Amino acid sequence: MTPWYLAAAIAAAGLVMVLRPGRAALRRAGAVIGLAGFALLMGFGLRLAGASATSASTPLALAVATVGVIGAVRVITHPRPVFAAIYFVLTVIAAAAIFLMLEAEFLAFALVIVYAGAILITYMFVLMLAHQSPEDEIGRIGAEDYDRVPREPFVAVFLGFFLLAALGSVIERVPPMAADAAPSATIRATDNLVQAQQRLPGMQAGEGTPADQPDNVHVVGLDLVARYPASLELAGVILLMAMFGAVVLARRQIELGEDDRRKAAGMGGMVLDLPENERGGA
Amino acid sequence: MSELAQPSAGVVIALVLSAALFTIGLVGFLVRRNMILMFLCTELMLQAAAIAFIAFGKMRGDVGGQVFVIFILTVAAAEAALALGLVVLLYRRRETLSAEAWQELHE
Repeated sequence: MTPWYLAAAIAAAGLVMVLRPGRAALRRAGAVIGLAGFALLMGFGLRLAGASATSASTPLALAVATVGVIGAVRVITHPRPVFAAIYFVLTVIAAAAIFLMLEAEFLAFALVIVYAGAILITYMFVLMLAHQSPEDEIGRIGAEDYDRVPREPFVAVFLGFFLLAALGSVIERVPPMAADAAPSATIRATDNLVQAQQRLPGMQAGEGTPADQPDNVHVVGLDLVARYPASLELAGVILLMAMFGAVVLARRQIELGEDDRRKAAGMGGMVLDLPENERGGA
Repeated sequence: MSELAQPSAGVVIALVLSAALFTIGLVGFLVRRNMILMFLCTELMLQAAAIAFIAFGKMRGDVGGQVFVIFILTVAAAEAALALGLVVLLYRRRETLSAEAWQELHE
């Protein structure tokens, strides 16, 4: 248990140094210390996995995880919000790569499309709508004070240190799984697939996919519909309600003049000699 | 122990990454003073939860973990829409994104 606390403490010390808006050299040293703490955490974690469990893709997974963590740290330290959002995209792409390595191909691409493609674009729109970066007297774009100076970094990192150490200790106690659990789940999924193919005449096994080896999309789709149909419906309701909520929240009440109201009703304006730009300003 | 499989290296890496991302998201939520970036940090924590789900699903050979991540994506999208709508509303009132502009709410 203690090695996790040690590694988490090193990572936390690095994070505090990175968070302080001080000299660049100090922040670089903090980044190095934080990365060392993260590497220690990874080392302790990998010690848990059997030596035979490491595969050829392990170094690649480690590199991707490091990129993801660096992106996340930049999200919480970058003084300019738009760049923080772009670094979040980097973290999302790293997570998608980890998903690919865990054989969750559908989710990997769905994550990139939904997160990087849709949610982050919404964030960028709102950031750019709501936020004009201030310029100093020679026209350089600076950052707002509330983006540059963190709030209570010591308390926050202290909390984070305990959370990280506790999570690490939990990872240590992940119980080893019975080795036959995986095949049984695959067999169940295959059974579902065969039944579905019998029920749906149009559904064929994918090109080049043996029928006894269902691919990830088939398995996830069947599981989604067969095991969680009510949740699927509820997800639809959540999305609908979120859409209504967003429309209601962001609607702006516009006071219309008499003329504009007549025009909106399709009755034509009463005052016809106003130039177009003056009327639009009402 | 011979019939028990240890978690593979990929699963452990994903779990440690998940713990680190969740912690960074929590620290960021407390440290950031820009309302939009505070919500971005909650997205970071959701991301960490999704990675943990996928890792445990892989470890147990159960696709239920992946299905749950689909629901996480749904809730994240709904949350982003509502949170950003609220932030736009708050920004129009105070003309700033700083969370401290609303400090009197907790007094």
